[in-house]
Amino acid sequence: MICTRGLKKSYPDPGGELVVLDGLELEVKEGEFVAVIGPSGSGKSTLLHVLGGLDVAYQGEVTVAGTTLRGLSERELASFRNSLVGFVFQSFHLVPNLSALENVRLPGYFGQQGASSSARAEEVLARVGLSHKKEKVPAQLSGGERQRVAIARALYSRPKVLFCDEPTGNLDAVTGKEIIGLFQELHREGLTLLAVTHEERMSSAAQRVLRLKAGRLLADGGAE
Amino acid sequence: MTSRSLLALVRLSLFRDRRGAAFSAFGVAMGVGSLVFFLGLGLGVGKVVREKVFPQDARLVDVVPPTLSLGAFIGGGKIDQAAVDRLAALPGVERVYRKMTVRVPAVSRYEGDFFGARLRMGVEILAVGVDPGLVKKDIQLGEFSDPGPGKPIPGVAASRLLEIYNKSFAPARRLPQLSPTMVVGFAFPVEFNRSFVAATAPGPITQEQVQVVGVSDRGLLAGITIPLEVAVRINRSAGVDAETFTGATLQAVDPSAVPRVVEEAKRMGLQIDDQERRLAENAGAAVAVTTSALALLSALICLLAGVNIAHALSASVRARAKEIGVMQAVGASRSDVRDLVFAEAAALGLFGGAVGTVLAVAAMKAVDLLSASYLPPFPFKPDTFFALPWYVVAGGVALGLLAALAGAYFPARHAASMDPARTLAG
Repeated sequence: MICTRGLKKSYPDPGGELVVLDGLELEVKEGEFVAVIGPSGSGKSTLLHVLGGLDVAYQGEVTVAGTTLRGLSERELASFRNSLVGFVFQSFHLVPNLSALENVRLPGYFGQQGASSSARAEEVLARVGLSHKKEKVPAQLSGGERQRVAIARALYSRPKVLFCDEPTGNLDAVTGKEIIGLFQELHREGLTLLAVTHEERMSSAAQRVLRLKAGRLLADGGAE
Repeated sequence: MTSRSLLALVRLSLFRDRRGAAFSAFGVAMGVGSLVFFLGLGLGVGKVVREKVFPQDARLVDVVPPTLSLGAFIGGGKIDQAAVDRLAALPGVERVYRKMTVRVPAVSRYEGDFFGARLRMGVEILAVGVDPGLVKKDIQLGEFSDPGPGKPIPGVAASRLLEIYNKSFAPARRLPQLSPTMVVGFAFPVEFNRSFVAATAPGPITQEQVQVVGVSDRGLLAGITIPLEVAVRINRSAGVDAETFTGATLQAVDPSAVPRVVEEAKRMGLQIDDQERRLAENAGAAVAVTTSALALLSALICLLAGVNIAHALSASVRARAKEIGVMQAVGASRSDVRDLVFAEAAALGLFGGAVGTVLAVAAMKAVDLLSASYLPPFPFKPDTFFALPWYVVAGGVALGLLAALAGAYFPARHAASMDPARTLAG
């Protein structure tokens, strides 16, 4: 489902070049729940952005959900992000002043059909247990509820892969546990999940754990 | 992104920032509203000047003998029948209407009933005789020809004279208001070769009655227009020149032939009497300059509205950087983001333009209503000071749209160039 070959990513740095991903090789099978762990600044979020088609300035080959990202036009990349992958962020990134329902519908406005479906949005909101709060704006929701709305938004387009960037980082322990439970349910339903985290509770819920250090994946299971 | 989705997103975006959107649209509305108002005012006043104050027929050219000319010594420069025949033969001339001023002074002493009021007055009168064809279409009573001595002379009053009487003379003297229909048939005494102030000719004083048979834009403004044969008869009986004409009105086959006709008439040693036309042009130019200045001011307001929109959208794009990043993450392309900013601006521009136009029309109605209620009557006071052709309305709304889109250019470019990975990470 996810495959990278020789993935390199670097940023210009006053001292030369800061290498973030250094020839990274990754293979994630369909339906897997993989956690990528590593210290802050190890390139976890960068990896997610590259895999999700948000960052195109890299070297190497990246294939996600059968789509080779290199060579795609900007519009094709947008379509890839819209239909094949979903994102869940640490800071939720909900649009303030829009109701939970409108936030969830957002991907529908950019889809191929061009019709954002309220029914689909209600369906995914029900899936994350928030039907009763569909008219609430983010400020009227708790942290956990906001993250559920963000997950519902990510699920709206029926993605093949869900990319999660520190999804429990802004949540308390109880709420974080609930969100992790939701990810496990989604995994059991067959969704492929790749979560980057530095939290033990999140990585322990994953089927497989990859450790990122100095731009390389050292080994599965945390072993160096 | 389809246009349906774009509209839905614009609606969501503007609705949630209603105050900011209303403020931006208000600027556009002020600019477009003032532009439509001032253009409507300029066009309306210009129309009054053209059609009421200085009515002009684009096909008519007035020629007069030169005030000082060697032509008289070499056989040109005066308008006799031979000159009229030559004028009629000029290329582009369809018809020639001769004019002869009654070359003796005349007075009217009136005492009696004047449309239900008592009137006693004595005034100097100017009279000009014209070929009947010139005023034929405005004759409402009998024939416009010489009825012979002792019978009432048919006369045509100038419509502008009637307007000045109704708006200035009548209110000041508490005389009745007169319509063109009312004055037709009215007769008053005129004594030719008599004056309160000027010297008279050696001939006898002729006592006549002049009966108004029509009201015309082509009538003499400061006097009465009578048949040419009557002017010839009066001049002849007074022993003054009854052979040469004081002027002629040439009717060109169409307005495009006028310059050539003018050129040929000048070549004959005649002058063009374009005083009325020049007055009309000067008045029209004054209106046009004032209108242009006010329209320019309004366009500047629109420009400022565009700058305001640029400011507001730039601030909005900066404030919504994360939101734009999220949109990109869920499938918005750069062109989708750019289109969204432009569409928001277009909505503001169209809404502001439409509101501004409605406000301008309301202000026009209010001004006309106030004018009708509170402004005292004056000559050529129009029912409306405004003219609002469709292209002014469409142009106003289009300008609002253009100002908004121009203001959105840089914010849209900035929004479209945002890096989602960076904005979502930051």
